[in-house]
Amino acid sequence: MTVLPITAGILVAGGVYLLCHPSLVRIVFGITLLSHGANVVLLSAGVSAWRGEPLTGAGSPREAGDPLPMAFVLTAIVITLAVTVFMLALARVGRDDDTRHLPDTGEDHRA
Amino acid sequence: MTLMWLLAALAAVPVLVVPLTSTLGRRAGWPLAFVFLALAASMIPAARVVLEGDEVTQTYAWLPALDVNLALRLDGLGLVFVMIALVIGAAVFLYSAEYLDRSRQRGFYLWMTAFAFGMVGLVLADDLILLFACWEITSLASFLLIARSGPGGEAASTRTLFMTFVGGLTLLIAVVVIIVVTGTTSLSQALASDVWGTQPGVTATVAVLVAVAGFTKAAQFPFHPWLPDAMAAATPVSAYLHAAAVVKAGIYLMLRFSEAFSDVLVWNVLLLSVGLFTAAMAALFAFQQHDLKRLMAYSTVSQLGLITAAIGVGTEKALTAAVIHTIAHALFKSGLFMMVGVIDHSAGTRDLRRLPQLRRVMPWSFATVILGAAAMAGIPPLLGFVSKESILGSMLEAPGPAWVGVVALVAAGTGSILTFAYSAKLVLGGFVDGERELEDAHGPNALLFLPAAAPIWVGVPLGLAVGVLDVPVERAVQAMGASASYPLHLWHGPVPELFVTAAAIAIGALLMTRRRALYPLVQRDFLPGTGADALERIFEAAADLGRTIARTVAADHPRRHVVPPLIVLTLLLGAGSIAILTTGDLPATQPDLWRPVDIGLLLLIALGVLGTCLADSRIAATVSLGGVGIAMTVQLFALGAPDVGLTQLMVEVLTVLVIMLVLRQLPSRFGPTHLSHRSGPVILAVALGTAAGLATWVLTGRRERSGPADYYVTEGTEVTGGDNLVNVILVEFRALDTLGELAVLGMAGVAIVAVLTTISSRTYDPPDRDRSAPLRPVAGLRDPQARAALLDPQSNLRALQLLLRVVIPGLLVLSAVIFWRGHNAPGGGFIAALVGSAAVALVHLSRPEDRAVGSPRLHIALIGGGVLTALVTGLLGYTDSSFLQPLYGYVAGTKLSSSLLFDIGVYAAVLGLVMVAFDRLGSTPPPATAEDTPHRAKEEVS
Repeated sequence: MTVLPITAGILVAGGVYLLCHPSLVRIVFGITLLSHGANVVLLSAGVSAWRGEPLTGAGSPREAGDPLPMAFVLTAIVITLAVTVFMLALARVGRDDDTRHLPDTGEDHRA
Repeated sequence: MTLMWLLAALAAVPVLVVPLTSTLGRRAGWPLAFVFLALAASMIPAARVVLEGDEVTQTYAWLPALDVNLALRLDGLGLVFVMIALVIGAAVFLYSAEYLDRSRQRGFYLWMTAFAFGMVGLVLADDLILLFACWEITSLASFLLIARSGPGGEAASTRTLFMTFVGGLTLLIAVVVIIVVTGTTSLSQALASDVWGTQPGVTATVAVLVAVAGFTKAAQFPFHPWLPDAMAAATPVSAYLHAAAVVKAGIYLMLRFSEAFSDVLVWNVLLLSVGLFTAAMAALFAFQQHDLKRLMAYSTVSQLGLITAAIGVGTEKALTAAVIHTIAHALFKSGLFMMVGVIDHSAGTRDLRRLPQLRRVMPWSFATVILGAAAMAGIPPLLGFVSKESILGSMLEAPGPAWVGVVALVAAGTGSILTFAYSAKLVLGGFVDGERELEDAHGPNALLFLPAAAPIWVGVPLGLAVGVLDVPVERAVQAMGASASYPLHLWHGPVPELFVTAAAIAIGALLMTRRRALYPLVQRDFLPGTGADALERIFEAAADLGRTIARTVAADHPRRHVVPPLIVLTLLLGAGSIAILTTGDLPATQPDLWRPVDIGLLLLIALGVLGTCLADSRIAATVSLGGVGIAMTVQLFALGAPDVGLTQLMVEVLTVLVIMLVLRQLPSRFGPTHLSHRSGPVILAVALGTAAGLATWVLTGRRERSGPADYYVTEGTEVTGGDNLVNVILVEFRALDTLGELAVLGMAGVAIVAVLTTISSRTYDPPDRDRSAPLRPVAGLRDPQARAALLDPQSNLRALQLLLRVVIPGLLVLSAVIFWRGHNAPGGGFIAALVGSAAVALVHLSRPEDRAVGSPRLHIALIGGGVLTALVTGLLGYTDSSFLQPLYGYVAGTKLSSSLLFDIGVYAAVLGLVMVAFDRLGSTPPPATAEDTPHRAKEEVS
C-alpha cells in the first residue's frame, strides 16, 4: 500500500486529458498538473520514508529527507512558472485561445 | 613581438574599434592603419629569423584532453601572407578613412579588423583545428562585410556564405580525416607524415577535399560566382578581401598543402585543369563587363586561376611562380580596386558606357591605372611581368607527357591575350574613350589617391630589382618542402614564355585597335545562366524539399505533436513496469513510505484535478487548479521540504493572478467539447496516469538513502557554512543547474516582451467576440451594492490602497529577511524574489486602471542584470579553481560565501520575469498599427 504513486498518477492523468484539448488555457492547466505530477515522482525518488527537514541542526540527520530531489523540484516549480506565464501570454493573443484557429499575426503560416 | 602577442593584439583591435569609431567616425581608419603598420614592423625580428632559414613557433595547450593546441608557426610561406594581410590592410584603412561616407562606420571597421585577425590566425596556425576555426572566422567576417552593404548585399552575402561554407565543410572533413589517419592535430607534423606516400586512396580523397575548400575561397570554377556577387560590398572591402585576403586564404591553403600533395596526380590534374579553365573563362567574362568593379572581380578570378594552375604543377619553379604572383597580384589588384573607387568618386560612376574622358582631369590617376593595368597584363619591367612570366614558364613543367605542358602553356597564353585585352579596356574605357570630358573637373583628393596608388607604384621598383624578393620567396618555397627555389630575374633570356608573352601582347593590342567592333560581339551570354541564378534554384529546390518533408508532420495545433510522444511514453512506462514486475526480483519497499496525511491530500488533489478537467467555466477551472496547488503545497511540507513548499505557495498565488489577468481577455467559458472528442483523451489520460503511477511505485522507495543525500546531510554544512541544504545545493553544489534555470526564466521574459511587442494591435487587442462575451463580473450581479462597488474601481480599491501602505514595506522587509536567512533556514533568492513579486502584484491590483508597474527597460535590466550577476559570480570562481566555485570569506565573524551574490542574480531574474508577466499581460498596450510595430518594439526594449 502506498499513496504518492497514486497522487502522481492522478495528476498525470488530469494533465494529459487537458493537454489534448484545443483551448490553450486548458493546455496550460494541463502542463501545470503534469508538472505537479512530475514533482511528486521526483520527490518519491528521494524515498518518502525519511521526512525530516534537511536543515542542519534541526532534528536528527538520520531522519532528514534527501535534499537533492527537493532542489530539483524547487527549480522545476520556478521553470513551470516561466513556461506557464509565457504560454498564457500566447493565449492572450487573438480573439480566443482556440489552437485550431491561429490568430492572424500578419505572419505567413504556410508550412 | 611573439606570434601569440601579435594574435592577441589583432584580437584586441576590434575592441579598440568601438571607441575609435565613436570619436573619429570614418577617420578611425588612420589610427587603425598605424596599428597595422606598427604590428607589421613588430614582426621584423621574427621575420629576420625566418629569412635566415629558421622557423618561429609557439605553442600553448588549448584542449589538452584532445591534444588540440594553440600552436602557431611563422615560416617563409606564413611570412608572405602575414605581411600582405597587415600592409595591404593598412593601405586599405588609410583609403577607407577618406573613401567612406561620413557616418560612423563602426560595422565596417569592426568586421574588417575581425577579418584581419582571422586571416593572420589562419596563416600562423600550426594546428588543424585552429586552422579550421580561423578559416571560418574569415568566412563569417566576409559575409558580414558584404551583408552590411545595403539592400543589394543581402542576397549576395547569403550566396557567398553558402559557397564558402561548402568549402568550410570539405575542409572540416579533410581536417578530421587527416587527424584520424596521421594521429596528430599538428599541421606541420600531419603534412610531413608518411601516410601520404603509403595510402594513395586516403591521400587522393584528402587532396580533393582540400582542393575544393581552396577553390571555394579562391573563387575557382564552379565556385567563382560569389566573387563578382560580392562586389555589392564597399570598394575598400573588395580591395582588401577580394584582392589581398579572403581569396588569398584559398591560395594559402593550397600552397600549404602542396608539401603533402604536390606529387599526387589527382591534385595536379584538378588544380591545373580547373585553374587554367577558370583563368581563361573569367578573363573572357572580365572583358565583357561594363562595370569597372565587376571587371576587376572577374580579373581577380582569372588571376587566381593562374596561381591555382601553378600550384597544381607543383614543381619548385611553379611554386616560386605562385608565391611571386600572389605578392604581385595583391599589390596591383588592391591598388586597382582602390583606383576604381577613386574614379567612381570623381566621376560619379564606374560604368564604362557613361564614364567621361578622365585623362586630362586626372593625369596622375591615369598614369597609376596604366601602371597597374600593365602589371596585370604582364608588361615589362613591372613585377607583374616577372610573376606572369614565371607562371607561363612553369606550365611547361606540368607533370605527365610533354604535350600536357605545351597545352597548358597555350591555354595560359590564350588567357593572357584576354588579360591584356581587359586591362587595356580598363585604361581606355576609363580615361580615353569617353565621349565627353568631365565638366566640373576635380581631381581626386590626395588622401584618397595616395593609399590607392602606393601598392601599384611599389610594383615598379620591385620589378626592376626583383632580386630583393629572392630570399623571402625562396624561404616560402622551402616551407612547402621544396629543396631550392628558382631565382627571379627580370630577363631570363629568350625562353618560350617570353615569346608567349610577346605574342599575347601583340594579339591583344591588335584586338584592342578593333575594339569598337569587338565589344558588341562579346556582349552575349556564353553560359545558359549565371551562377547566382543557379544557386537561387538550388536554394528554392532545397526549400521545396523541406516543405514537402514538413508537410507530413506539420500542424499548427498542438494536439498532433503532443499525442504521439504521450502514447510512446505510455507504452514505455507501462510495458517497462510490467516487465520489471513479472521478472520478480524486486526489492521490497521501505516501510513508512506514506503517512495518513497523504491520503487526505490525495483525495483533495483528486477532487481538484477532476474539477479542473471538467469545469466549463474558466474561472471554476482556475479555482480548482489553485486548489490542487494548495494541496500540493501542503504535500510538500508534509514531505519535509519547507523551501519547496514555500516556493510552491508563492508560485501558486502568482500563477493564479496571472491567469486571471489573461482570462479577462478571453471568453468566459471553454465551450462545449463534443462527447466523441472526449473518449480519446480520456483513454490516453487513464492509460498514461496508470502507467506513470505504476512506474513510480515500481521504481521508487525501494532503496536506502542515497550516497549523495548522506553526503549533503553530513558534510554539506561543513563545506559551505550554510545549514539549509536545499539552498546550498541550489547556489553552490549545483549552481550550474540554477544558472541554466535563470537563463530559461530570462528567455521566457524576453520572449514575452518580444512576442507581444511585435504582434499587431488588432491581434493583441481584438474586438469582443459575439459568440461568448469576455468576463464581465458586473453583468451577473444582482446585489445593487456589489454592482456599485465594482462599477467604481476608484472607491472599490481604496481599502486595499490604504492597506498597502503597511503591507508593501512589510513585504519588502520580509523579502529581505527571507533572502538573508536562506543559507541557514528555509528561504533564499527564489522565495524572497517571489515574495517581492507579490508586492508587485499587489501594487498592480490596487490600481484602478491597467497601468504597468515598471518600465520595459527595468524588466530587461532586471532579467539581464540577474543572469549577468550570476554569470560574473561564476567567473569569479576561476580565481580559485573553476566556474561557479564559491569563494568564502569572514566578515565580522560570519562566514560569507560568494553564492550570496549568485542568489542576488536569482532574485533579480525571478522578479524581472514576474514583473514582465504583470506589466505585459495586465496592461493595455498603447494603440499601434501593424506598420509601426517594429519601431515600437525597438523603442520599448531599448
